[in-house]
Amino acid sequence: MKLRRVSVCMIALASIVITVAMAAEQPKAGGTLIFAVGETPPSFDGHRETTFAMLHPLAPHYSTLLRFDADKYPKIEGDVAESWTVSRDGLTYTFKIRKGVKFHDGSLLTARDVKATYDKIIFPPEGVASARKAYFAMVEKMEAPDESTVVFRLKWPSASFIRQVASPWNFIYKADILAKDPRWYEKNVMGTGPFTFVEYVPGSHWVGKKNPDYFVKGRPYLDGYRAIFIRDTAPRVAAVRAGQALIEFRGFNPAVRDDLVRALGDKIRVQESPWICNMTVAINNEKKPFDDVRVRKALTLAIDRWEGSKALSQISIMKPVGGLMRPGSEFATPEAELTKLAGFGKDPEAARKEARRLLKEAGVPEGFAFTLKNRNVKEPYEAVGVYVIDQWRKVGLNVTHLPQEGGPYFADLRAGNYETSIDFNCDFMDEPDYQLIKFISSDKSPINYARYKDAVLDELYEKQSRATDPKERLKHIRQTEKRVLDEQAYTFHVLWWYRIIPHWARVKGWPITPSHYLNQDLRDVWLAAE
Amino acid sequence: MAEAVGTAADVKGAKGSLPGWLEISLRFAQQRPLGAAGAVIVLGMALAALLADIIAPGDPQVSNYALMLRPPSAEHWLGTDSFGRDILSRIIYGSRTALLIGFTSAFFGATLGAVIGVASAYFGGRVDLMVQRFMDILLSFPLIILALAVVAILGTGTMNVILAITIPMIPRCALVTRASALAIRETPYVTAARAMGFSHTRIIFRHMLPNVMAPYLILVTAFLGQAILLEASLSFLGLGVAEPTAAWGLMLRGAAVEFAERAPWMAIFPGVAISAAVFGFNLFGDSLRDALDPKLRMG
Amino acid sequence: MQRYILKRFLLMIPTLFGVAVLVFLLLRVAPGDVVELKYAGVGAFVSKEAMDQERAQLGLDKPLWRQFMDWMWGIARFDFGTSMWTGRPITYEIAIRLQLSLQLAIMATVVAVLLSIPLGTIAALRQDTWVDYVVRVFSIAGLAMPSFWLGILMILGMLIFFRWLPPMFFTPFWIDPWANLSQLIWPALAVGYRYSAVATRMTRSAVLEVLREDYIRTARAKGLWEKLILTRHALKNAMLPVVTVIGLEFAFLIGGLVVTEQVFNLNGIGMLFVEAITRRDYTMTQALVLLVSFSFIVVNFVMDIVYAWLDPRIRYQ
Repeated sequence: MKLRRVSVCMIALASIVITVAMAAEQPKAGGTLIFAVGETPPSFDGHRETTFAMLHPLAPHYSTLLRFDADKYPKIEGDVAESWTVSRDGLTYTFKIRKGVKFHDGSLLTARDVKATYDKIIFPPEGVASARKAYFAMVEKMEAPDESTVVFRLKWPSASFIRQVASPWNFIYKADILAKDPRWYEKNVMGTGPFTFVEYVPGSHWVGKKNPDYFVKGRPYLDGYRAIFIRDTAPRVAAVRAGQALIEFRGFNPAVRDDLVRALGDKIRVQESPWICNMTVAINNEKKPFDDVRVRKALTLAIDRWEGSKALSQISIMKPVGGLMRPGSEFATPEAELTKLAGFGKDPEAARKEARRLLKEAGVPEGFAFTLKNRNVKEPYEAVGVYVIDQWRKVGLNVTHLPQEGGPYFADLRAGNYETSIDFNCDFMDEPDYQLIKFISSDKSPINYARYKDAVLDELYEKQSRATDPKERLKHIRQTEKRVLDEQAYTFHVLWWYRIIPHWARVKGWPITPSHYLNQDLRDVWLAAE
Repeated sequence: MAEAVGTAADVKGAKGSLPGWLEISLRFAQQRPLGAAGAVIVLGMALAALLADIIAPGDPQVSNYALMLRPPSAEHWLGTDSFGRDILSRIIYGSRTALLIGFTSAFFGATLGAVIGVASAYFGGRVDLMVQRFMDILLSFPLIILALAVVAILGTGTMNVILAITIPMIPRCALVTRASALAIRETPYVTAARAMGFSHTRIIFRHMLPNVMAPYLILVTAFLGQAILLEASLSFLGLGVAEPTAAWGLMLRGAAVEFAERAPWMAIFPGVAISAAVFGFNLFGDSLRDALDPKLRMG
Repeated sequence: MQRYILKRFLLMIPTLFGVAVLVFLLLRVAPGDVVELKYAGVGAFVSKEAMDQERAQLGLDKPLWRQFMDWMWGIARFDFGTSMWTGRPITYEIAIRLQLSLQLAIMATVVAVLLSIPLGTIAALRQDTWVDYVVRVFSIAGLAMPSFWLGILMILGMLIFFRWLPPMFFTPFWIDPWANLSQLIWPALAVGYRYSAVATRMTRSAVLEVLREDYIRTARAKGLWEKLILTRHALKNAMLPVVTVIGLEFAFLIGGLVVTEQVFNLNGIGMLFVEAITRRDYTMTQALVLLVSFSFIVVNFVMDIVYAWLDPRIRYQ
């Protein structure tokens, strides 16, 4: 009896604590969010650009058809779409568009605008670039039967389609503007998002202010925002530390996090998440001796990823060990299974011995010299380059590091003008269609730089992409992974990235997601009192 | 006034019992203590570069992830960097990179510049005009921009950095040596050599070049410092020497700044090394300039 | 004199043309192009056809001579084209950065002059004493420290010890002089200190030279300062090289502060330069090189005229 009273008491107390906490967390309207961005946007067109430097300042001006629910990633919810239905055969998607959504010029958004937007993305007119068009190969056509309905008809059932229309890149544009000039959006802004455009001083800053007509009532909380562009890491960190910028949305390394926490204590809040980005070693399968699977396998066996994770996670943004899908995602291979793949085992000495044996068998002499090309970006590129070279040295390989500027780096990768190279990949969501496309035959995938052709992988990719049963899909993914990383060792991941956002605790309502492309419209963000 | 004496010839005239070179050095040290201090720094750096294999406590390139970001201690006098590499060793080996790049580019830059400058002055007329215009074109690019362009074309790496630094130095040297050579061209000595029908090459190399030695030497020392700084800037921008080679500018890049609070030794010591080296070269070069030619002025 | 001026003026044209040809060719030789970099972003899945289409839009598929002629014809009409990276007019992009760069160049020059003239003069007057040595060590140290390192130390020092950071973005002087100055004074000090080193040395030797003039040597009875005042006229001529150095350095400051601008996050011409080169933004790089070369050549031209005006012998050479 006594016990019960205590517990009742505790419950009562707990609920008080919770309500107090809730009260403290009541969003407060007003204020301007200042955040730092590490690059400058090229054009303003989300459909053509591929850099976060475009998304971070511009996403608050726009809406998308669906969006990811940042609190419950990877759950999706409607943005300008109120609801949607899928036909039984998985070939027809029908979206109901919200009523009363207004562009910043006051005009109403209709299904016609959505259709025009997706026409530009999937079937761009001559002379208009669309960066992610290839991912929509399953779409046959769109229709807008009435003002508030958009229908997508697919050629085949697709596992990824519904999440693709939640892509943060697919800003909804105005049909009338696109009809007049499909490239208008490269230099101008006109959306339906929570903030309207105020000013952009190229290279310096970008300013947006609250859209009073935003279709979600009571949002946004902020009066406005200001993105300041700070290219170099040191001043960017300094700006956050001095409070000139309250947050930077891409991420800092662990040392910066520690410094900020030490200097500012509880004024800083740290949010962390595994990141849908990874570092890869690309191997030129056309060059000798890398055309020999034994040599390639030795190269991956020589890398101790678990030790690397421990070391590099202290000095860089790399951390999780994973296969082709992000560790922690619904598609990831469990650790027990992962450790069976070449180079992912937990016995580095045995792996190195095996690597030496394979090299010897393939006729590669001790001290064999080759080059590792890289991008001249200190982190994480050069950090992982230094690590990989050090690991290869341990199996008797003498590797020269060649960091290059972006221009020659990409040109060489594309042209196959390299022996081995550090490569990378970043996507906005966990989606096998995105993460696996790098590994289909290089004549089919412009981002497969490893120069091999493999009909088995091409077939597996298609199968998984069209699989309607999640279990079956997973099976194809596992097979792909085993073939790429282990059996053929065409090219392989080293480590996945780990996203760390240390920001001023005043910034509320911004939960971290596994991608720096997501959740950037700032509509739920608010500022607590200083 | 002390400024009036101190040319090499004067010192030679006052021969004592000491060997000639020592006598000269002592004289130099006495009259130009600053220059002597510079010479000592330069010598120390040269020794470090030569004996790096012996004096460096560790391998500058091998990472040791068990020893990341250690503060200065008895084992690691200047601490370790983010890859667990000994900073003192990297600085010692870095002097090799700095000297290699500094000397090669200063030597080739000044020499090519001197040859072009002298030849241009010697031939005069249209050749001179053409060469001068071309040098003007190169000169109107800021040093760092021209170097950036060369690296953009050739790519990074030690050899390309040397080229990138050498090329912008050529016109600067040509400009100065041409001015000196113009004066020599009209001397009876060269006119006589011409009258005797010596070949152009012979006159330029045997008769004119030796006479621009003073400005040439001064330029080499001035360029040395500049070359080291330029290399540091290029490496800092990620366009210079590549990891894991030990180089000072590279050591200051990225991590050194990001970790500046946690591991200030990473940002301080390489910077001190660069400053000391360039300081030494400039101090020495400055005094050398005063000694060789008090009238010579240059930027 | 007019003939000389005209001749020197006309000589500027081939030099500028040469600069144009050189930068045009250099850029095309460098591997990689702007389209490659535009689509380099992660997650991009862009076909070769799409990239070629983009190249065609930028005119990169035309033969080289044609591209060059188009560019020249544009310049003749004062049309520098649009940036290949952002698609905005180059004059607009440059104008934004030029404000900051010009102001910084002026401030750094002021710092350099304020440091170098008095220091150089006093070093010469007290030649070979400790005063001279201190001045020389101070100025040579300025030359020796990499300015980016000095900048980093300044920023970290302010941040760690004073918990303060200069503003990270540019505010024009007429909008908020305080914000403007508190941002630019630091880089101006770092750059001006470095730039004063050369000028101090030149001032020192100029003053020494004047002091060595015969009639000054004979005026032994007078104090040094009086001697200087006596020779104001001579000094004016001797200071010309100092003015030259300051002038030329000023021209370079506009485009050459590549690393310093990065460290202080200054949105200036130097930063634009690096970005344009690394992005292979041909049109932007070409325009910037012409701008910097032009300012350099103009300063040179003015200096030549001044020399010729002071020393008639030059005119007839």
